[in-house]
Amino acid sequence: MIPSDHFTRFYNEVFKFLETQGEDALQEYWLEISKNQDKHTVDLFREKGLEGMREYWDHIRIEENCDLDLDINDDRLELRMNACPSLGKVLDNDADPMGRYCDHCAGWIGPILDRLGYHLVYDVIDRKKPQCVMQVFKDQEKAHLAEKQAKLLMGWPGKADK
Amino acid sequence: MIIPDNKPLRYNEEGNVHMDFHGATNTTIDFIIKNYGVDVMDQIFARVGKDVYADIRRHLTAGNAGELVKHWRHFFDREGADYSIDINDDEIVLSVRHCTAYHHVKKIAPKVSDHFCDQTIKTNEALAEGGPFTIATEITGPGSCRQIIRKRS
Repeated sequence: MIPSDHFTRFYNEVFKFLETQGEDALQEYWLEISKNQDKHTVDLFREKGLEGMREYWDHIRIEENCDLDLDINDDRLELRMNACPSLGKVLDNDADPMGRYCDHCAGWIGPILDRLGYHLVYDVIDRKKPQCVMQVFKDQEKAHLAEKQAKLLMGWPGKADK
Repeated sequence: MIIPDNKPLRYNEEGNVHMDFHGATNTTIDFIIKNYGVDVMDQIFARVGKDVYADIRRHLTAGNAGELVKHWRHFFDREGADYSIDINDDEIVLSVRHCTAYHHVKKIAPKVSDHFCDQTIKTNEALAEGGPFTIATEITGPGSCRQIIRKRS
């Protein structure tokens, strides 16, 4: 058994292999993980909107031992990751980290939020630091304005079509 | 076979456990095998055994199976598995009667991958490769196995 605690280090090895196969291979995998997450997210987000998202990421905050802050405003959910255990473990690792490890997060969340009509703005800030800011907007114009403030804006499969 | 020490594991996670990661492992195994074949999946598990678990491998190569036993205890305890470890002069036997990884996936996924236990089999093989021990993994039923460390003859 690869312990659940070590999944992210396994994930990192999978990313390193897929990166050798090209961008499409990585994106196809993120979409598979995204589908895998449907059951945990789609109904909750559809029924409860931003509050459902707050519930989901608060559950993740506890189970994955994240240091993060979650705020709901009228127009958006904001998640500020202060210490990401996922990237933290990949960096604290005897195997080399995949340089774009952080990209997977928007890679699976973005397609779900697109389908539900929300607008994700994912600022990784610096791929070598386990911190990021994720905002989910109801309004596309507000999302576009927030994108201009991002330091390192993430994309995801289908993002270019928006 | 075991040189005791009180040092913490190289990866000594504590805090809460997110069992759903096993579901993502299950999805990943089927995705990689469907798109790239079982040999690629095995190579990725070998990288986990050799690179991610370089410290356990270093201990095994030096003739000390104690770090792997410590790893088993720490993580099977954290995940609430039903297991026991028997140690004698010739072999160390981990008997997993209820693998919580397997049973969690069975609960949350449409199907447990036919190759789910390869993560154990192939990672163990990579840990032992080129060293003084063999690590055999016998699947004894759905969600149960025996993992046996022996001195290489």
